[in-house]
Amino acid sequence: MFLTKEEEQMLAGERGLGHQRAMELLAALGKIYDADRLIPITSAHLSGVSYKTIGDGGSDFLMEMARDSKVCVPTTLNPAGMDLQRWRDMGVSSSFAEKQKAIIDSYGKLGVETNCTCTPYFTGNAPKQGDAVAWAESSALSYVNSVLNARTNREGGPGALAAAIIGKTPRYGLHLDENRAPTVIIEAAVEDEITAYSLLGHAVGLKVGAAIPYFKNIRPDCNGLKTMAAAMAAAGSVAKFHVEGVTPGWQSQELKGLEKISIGSKELAAAKDALTSGREPDLIALGCPHLSQMEMKMLASMLDGKQRNRDAPEVWFCTSRVVKTWCPKETAVLERFGKVVCDTCMIVAPIEANHKCTATNSAKACTYLPGLCSQKVVCDSYPVLLEMIL
Amino acid sequence: MRLAGRSICRGVVEGDLVLLDSPFSFLGGVEPSSGRLTSTSGAAGTSISGKIFGFPRGRGSTVGSYTMLQMKREGTLPLAIINERAETIVATGAVMAGLPMVDSIDMSLLKNGDRLKVNADTGEIEVDAVKESEVVTCVLMHEGKLLALKRSMKVSTNQGMWAGVSGYIEPGAGPIDTAIKEIKEEVAIEHPRLIRSAPMYSIRTGDRLWRIHPFLFESPTDEVTIDWEHTEYRWIEPQEAESMLIVPGFVHVLKALL
Repeated sequence: MFLTKEEEQMLAGERGLGHQRAMELLAALGKIYDADRLIPITSAHLSGVSYKTIGDGGSDFLMEMARDSKVCVPTTLNPAGMDLQRWRDMGVSSSFAEKQKAIIDSYGKLGVETNCTCTPYFTGNAPKQGDAVAWAESSALSYVNSVLNARTNREGGPGALAAAIIGKTPRYGLHLDENRAPTVIIEAAVEDEITAYSLLGHAVGLKVGAAIPYFKNIRPDCNGLKTMAAAMAAAGSVAKFHVEGVTPGWQSQELKGLEKISIGSKELAAAKDALTSGREPDLIALGCPHLSQMEMKMLASMLDGKQRNRDAPEVWFCTSRVVKTWCPKETAVLERFGKVVCDTCMIVAPIEANHKCTATNSAKACTYLPGLCSQKVVCDSYPVLLEMIL
Repeated sequence: MRLAGRSICRGVVEGDLVLLDSPFSFLGGVEPSSGRLTSTSGAAGTSISGKIFGFPRGRGSTVGSYTMLQMKREGTLPLAIINERAETIVATGAVMAGLPMVDSIDMSLLKNGDRLKVNADTGEIEVDAVKESEVVTCVLMHEGKLLALKRSMKVSTNQGMWAGVSGYIEPGAGPIDTAIKEIKEEVAIEHPRLIRSAPMYSIRTGDRLWRIHPFLFESPTDEVTIDWEHTEYRWIEPQEAESMLIVPGFVHVLKALL
């Protein structure tokens, strides 16, 4: 990979250890993927935030990087292992909380915006069409590639941090036009409902793996798109998709000769069955990816004026702190039924300490909860899950 | 023996090799507190701490990069990593932990326990105990049949095995000149016509690395006069070779040439 004189100097350590490490990482990734050069990025989004995933080793690394380097493009952060304010309410231990706060402090010192959310595109970090960016978080980067039509590869947390520090990323993969075209057509016959979109994403991810699907016959809104993106990335490794009539540029895609796959209610029912492993949840967790303002309003209107059943399991409404401040009335309604939890989610929080069976409407959460949180899982739609608490 | 790979993360170290023959995930594949491999790695209990760690490529969860940082914290990191083909997770962990790493190495040329010098600045690996020999192997063809020669008990290697015409390339000599000279000496065939050559092929037997230059010649005759290096010869059909006791690498050479 070609490096400019300035980039070579960074690699040689002339701008300090942080820049050197960051440049080493970009150079290594560039070599692995046969990139020809680095290109400037307009924003970054980082994963690798929860103490539960990155541990003390990850924390040490961030502290070291924060000593002499800072990000130079707007950079946001994925969910942490706890609500940074109400962690005690979540049953998080104080030793975990201390370590989690140290990680957030390091990101703050690095100049990263520390609103911890997997949907930063709803709250200020929304790349423009055609922008090159470096995003981690598989659901968010797929949303950015597909719905916003900006360009990012599937970055890992450290690679995205390195790109944010240097302000550049290696040019390969989804930064190139020829790698963004659809590779398979999905003829979908599903209900226009958020859980159906999630299960559709799951079924497609399992079937196509790393392909770029082109969906026909569906009209998801931004909430449907975010949950589809999340499910496809978790079940497969889909980093970009097209939806006819919905995503930018759908008109100009070449579909001739592509394989067609039909997915309907039968496949969705099978996906739901396969994801379900439990029966009696002790936690109902909604908001994977984080609830949008619209979803907060919808959930609040479904619950307003009703009474919580005293024997109902604990409920979490996971969202970003920004969306929570936008929704004071809705938050007040939802808090009568459960906790509006910010900065975190059911996957990255250490829920296994207090819970054994979690119910959710997100196929992504259902995919990860058994392995990452030792949970049995109940997979169902918003109305069914809310019924459990009334 | 000197192998040229590609630098992924810099550093120069020397140590003993722990070699796995299947893809490896740091998450779940090693216990960070002890540096010992777990059962999922296929070499449970082996310590990679302070060793040079070789495996074909990384696999599994991105959390693996952080496992490597945890090993750094615990002081249980290997000295360096060698891969056939680097991928993101291990390369990221290596750079973050400042661990020398080289890829594009033919792992079949390395053996568990080899003492290695790894220069991850240049991507080179040296194994002093393994000596290199550069040789030619010539396959002679006449009317669709191939000449197989049985090596005598007087030659230094692979005695009693079937092979083509072969010989060491002396310092200063070129592969093609050596090939023609050896054909004349070993089977007394003049003016063989070169059909094609194949890229140099490396194979290791014990403490010897063979750098083989394969050549395919058309022989103007089927009359062969062997010298002391062989006891017997046969013109065979190409597919017969696999059922004969042949020298290591000969199947590959035939595949590359035919």
